[in-house]
Amino acid sequence: MFEKSLYDLIRGLRNHKGNEKEYIQKTLKECRAEVRSQDMDLKATALLKLIYLEMFGHDMSWASFHVLEVMSSPKYHQKRVGYLGAVQSFRQDTEVLMLATNLLKKDLAATTPTIISLPIATLPHVITPSLALSTLADLLPRLNHSHSNIRKKTLVTLYRLALVYPEALRAAWPKIKDRLMDPDEDPSVTAAIVNVVCELGWRRPHDFLPLAPRLFELLVDGGNNWMAIKLIKLFATLTPLEPRLVRKLLPPLTNIIRTTPAMSLLYECINGIIQGGILDNTDDVAGADEIATLCVNKLRGMIMMNGDANLKYVALLAFNKIVLTHPHLVSQQEDVILECIDSSDITIRVQALNLVKGMVTSDNLVLVVSRLMKQLKSSLPSKDRRLPGSSAITPETESDDESQTAIIAPTTQETQTVLLPDDYRIDIIERILFMCSKDNYSSVLDFDWYIDVLTQLVRMAPVPRTFDADTGAALPIRQQVDVSEKIGDELRNVAVKVRAMRATAVRAADIILDQLLSDNPAGHPLNSGALKSAIWIIGEYSVQLAIPDDSLNGLLQAIPRIGKPEISAVALHATAKVFSSIAGSELEPWTSERKSRISLLLARILDVLEPLALHPSLEVQERAVEYIELLKLTAEAASGQPASTGENDQEPPLLLTQAIPSLFSGWELNSVAVNAQKNVPLLEGLDLDEPINGNLNRLLFQTDIITLQSDEADDFEVYYHQRPPPSSISSSAPAISRLADPGDDMASSYQQLSEESYLDADILAKRKAERMEKNKDDPFYIPSDNILRTSTPIHNILQNNNGPDLDIDSIPVMQLDLDKFGGSSLAAPSRPQPRPRQRVLVAADETIEGGDSGTGRQNDSENGSSNLAKAKSKKSKQHSLLQVDSSTIGSFSLEEGDGSKGFDYERQQREEAEMQQAMKEVERLRLEMQRANERIQMAQGAEVQGVVITKKKKKKVVSKKTAEGEDGEAATSVKPKKKKKKAVAQTSEGGEPSGTAANTLDGAPVKVAPKKKKKKASLVEAEAAG
Amino acid sequence: MINAFLVFNGQGQPRLTKFYTQLDTSIQQRLISEIFTLVSNRPSGSCNFLPLPPLLAASSTSHSSTEEQNDVPSLVTYRNYATLYFIIISTATESPLALIDLIQVYVEALDKLFENVCELDLIFNFETLHATLSEMIIGGVVIETSLDRIVSGVRAQGTVAKRPVNEGRSTIGSGMGLGGNFAWAGRV
Repeated sequence: MFEKSLYDLIRGLRNHKGNEKEYIQKTLKECRAEVRSQDMDLKATALLKLIYLEMFGHDMSWASFHVLEVMSSPKYHQKRVGYLGAVQSFRQDTEVLMLATNLLKKDLAATTPTIISLPIATLPHVITPSLALSTLADLLPRLNHSHSNIRKKTLVTLYRLALVYPEALRAAWPKIKDRLMDPDEDPSVTAAIVNVVCELGWRRPHDFLPLAPRLFELLVDGGNNWMAIKLIKLFATLTPLEPRLVRKLLPPLTNIIRTTPAMSLLYECINGIIQGGILDNTDDVAGADEIATLCVNKLRGMIMMNGDANLKYVALLAFNKIVLTHPHLVSQQEDVILECIDSSDITIRVQALNLVKGMVTSDNLVLVVSRLMKQLKSSLPSKDRRLPGSSAITPETESDDESQTAIIAPTTQETQTVLLPDDYRIDIIERILFMCSKDNYSSVLDFDWYIDVLTQLVRMAPVPRTFDADTGAALPIRQQVDVSEKIGDELRNVAVKVRAMRATAVRAADIILDQLLSDNPAGHPLNSGALKSAIWIIGEYSVQLAIPDDSLNGLLQAIPRIGKPEISAVALHATAKVFSSIAGSELEPWTSERKSRISLLLARILDVLEPLALHPSLEVQERAVEYIELLKLTAEAASGQPASTGENDQEPPLLLTQAIPSLFSGWELNSVAVNAQKNVPLLEGLDLDEPINGNLNRLLFQTDIITLQSDEADDFEVYYHQRPPPSSISSSAPAISRLADPGDDMASSYQQLSEESYLDADILAKRKAERMEKNKDDPFYIPSDNILRTSTPIHNILQNNNGPDLDIDSIPVMQLDLDKFGGSSLAAPSRPQPRPRQRVLVAADETIEGGDSGTGRQNDSENGSSNLAKAKSKKSKQHSLLQVDSSTIGSFSLEEGDGSKGFDYERQQREEAEMQQAMKEVERLRLEMQRANERIQMAQGAEVQGVVITKKKKKKVVSKKTAEGEDGEAATSVKPKKKKKKAVAQTSEGGEPSGTAANTLDGAPVKVAPKKKKKKASLVEAEAAG
Repeated sequence: MINAFLVFNGQGQPRLTKFYTQLDTSIQQRLISEIFTLVSNRPSGSCNFLPLPPLLAASSTSHSSTEEQNDVPSLVTYRNYATLYFIIISTATESPLALIDLIQVYVEALDKLFENVCELDLIFNFETLHATLSEMIIGGVVIETSLDRIVSGVRAQGTVAKRPVNEGRSTIGSGMGLGGNFAWAGRV
């Protein structure tokens, strides 16, 4: 077979338009054969082709052993291919990495600078703690290499070593510091050191304070803009620790700001001043003011400058940092920032949005939100135009002809009006919700407006995708969140928290339901997340519905079409609630019309509910079955009760007027802070593990026998329908707290009104007397005649309406109460609420003070805080893609001056012994593998060439010793470190930093052991087989 | 630090992929295609920065502490030269404007090495692309920004192959208008 070069492969790809896949598969097959060949040239070429194909997503992890073979080639151009293969294809789980250690060490000791560069550049990509441990000793001498190129690459590699193996920094830092201090050092090496120090700087700023004078020197007469930028960034992390630096820094910084021609440097100066907290320097107020104005004006200039979008972007980025500390400075720039919200560039828009989010007040909220709404509306994609995800790009295809095309602008913008991607639309909506609900709606003055906005937003919310268009994989949770559900939740929050707006919210919910019904053609499932809250509002506040019959109609139409079980469950409750408010009236005479109307209504509802009794979701099924049975009973009762005629007055069935309404008219539901539950103090002497009643089984058995005991006070009823003593949980909501006052007796009597069948009059009276007795001497107990009620439970509204026919004797307190709150916000249920006043009362979330977790953000709206919590929990779980985990280095102590942060030497020695042991095992395994490899090659009749691997255990021990020796040596040049180390280790065992260092060490041998066993087992099998 | 350096063309086909942390090949490809989607939909006159692609945005939404933020890739800088896009993914410790210039330095270095570089040069000599990059960035840290040193560093590793004859060519040098294009003077 004639071998292909990379050139042939690429040409071949270009000549096989249309069936690249096939061609690639063929090539991969060839490569598999070629890479096994004994001809090093052929091997290297095959590897190069594999690396090329890897770039297009064709996995080459299977070839890792061949990568190693090519890496060990004596020829530079082949070696280079091998190392490139390692960089591009080695992953965390690449096992041959273990075998590469010796090769890396050998190449690090090479004499040719180009060869030394290869392992140095490769190490950062493949580094593991154990590899770092074994190559550290070989890397350190390279810091003194005569080529500046090697020196600077080495020090960066040492930095990456330190990220996984912090001990490396202890050995390397003194040398790096010497290099930095050396004025004769090559400037490009100095610049590289500054880069590294800048990366380390924010992790451990304290270590670099002593360097400040030298860094300052470099800043003043460096002349390298890139380095100056890094220095300024570094100083920005140092100034908070050393305020005296500020005075020193200001002159050169202002000088640079005024003179530099490089915009990047100018920007970073401003940025550094902001980040370094120089603006709030208290020493020199006038000077700080001057600087602040200078900075802000420059930034403003950047945004204003026409034609350079990059400057706009970075200026907004800087404003985003200033806004955290100096919001007033940024809000002065409101005009230019608002301009950026409408930019055609999404990146700039997002930054501007971030800013606006922080600056919004009650004055500009409407302005900002209406701008955003306009954006959303004008960019609403018509349904047919939506592109199917990102399916346009398939990186797997290998069409390569584009390289020959002339220079055409790839920006083929179809239209001038920007089509916003769904992600961005969701982002805008979430921000609108955030801005409005911030600080418990403190910025919203006009809730009518806000409810209209919400209604509009439901219509504009993008349909959520649960699956990625191109991969078919489930999207991360974040993207699955249906934004319309959040809008619905917001509407619900307003309905719950803002009493005055409840009727408007109910109307809005009604509109949303109608809208969704008419928008989706019959037969299509209703899936909008907003439906859930809308339906809940309709049900919960059904007394405020304008035309309850219409709403019930809508609900009944919607129920069979709802696609999500959790919405169905809510809808079932809502149906029953609306029905109860339509049919439950006690005052309306039980005429034959009413009777037939209710029978019809029941039949309709039952007709809709019955199919749900077989719903796959258990929750829905259960609720459906319960309501079906209840409503059937009601239907029987209704048909059994003869209608009242002219002379014969008949009561409506009690089931209809008493039982069903009592299901839904307990306490008013209030919003509860997220963490309120956590703050409930555990009662003294309360053991949660103790069974509440040891006789539980007997009791349960009894309840089986005694099915319904009506004349006993039911704990459950008491819990739900009677007020708790005021001392137990005091709510922070003003309206609620008024309710929790001694209104007690009346309220409970309302309940008892429908609960007479369960509770005897004497029990009621006793309870009442008890409460009064208890509160008699309580100075905080406000007597009932002083109550100024702004509202009452829905239940009262019914009562209010029903006035004349009430059995006044049974509820004497009720009448009294009615007189007092007649003029409150409570209006006739069928009429919409009057327009809201400028300031409406927004109930805060209920919580319990004193707990540490919940109090901080009890005023956040539910959306905001739960998001935050979610994001936080997510954060703790996952690291970002591409993120370098450097958590260990921050806690690692570099200077041992401060005694407590010791270094557990004995422990380290123990770990090292373990490591030695593991290394020995690996060595043996390696030999075995090599032997197995030889056998295979023998079997193939090829000459054994293999990898040059020699047993080097001894050398490793030696090198480790030298590493330690150097460590000590380096330390003595600064201070007698080693002895101190030992002493410290004796006094303080297991301080935190040494613990983490030991942990990283600990990981390696543990990892090695199981792998080895596995492999050994497979080897044994192989031997048995062959 | 710099988390990744990518080059792909107007069709989204990669020409150079360099990730400074280990990442599965399939995730690399997804990230590339997400970034390509973002970059290919930019209106003219947009800035050289991209919003975070979904893969990266998912993990950096919370701003719990600035320390963590410094570690998370938060900036995607790109530059378009003729048929090619050059992308740098970096953390907040890098200067945005300086990164734009860094890409410019890279392209100029390639231009010097290949003499009027075009996409074909990059396709057939992707090893040189890697070599050039490793003269500028090691392990995600910038080590050199001077054009001459970069070029001589690459040349020290051996002769740079010329592009094969009779292949059509279109220079990206003419398209990128070296040094122009930006309002600020002075290279970093």
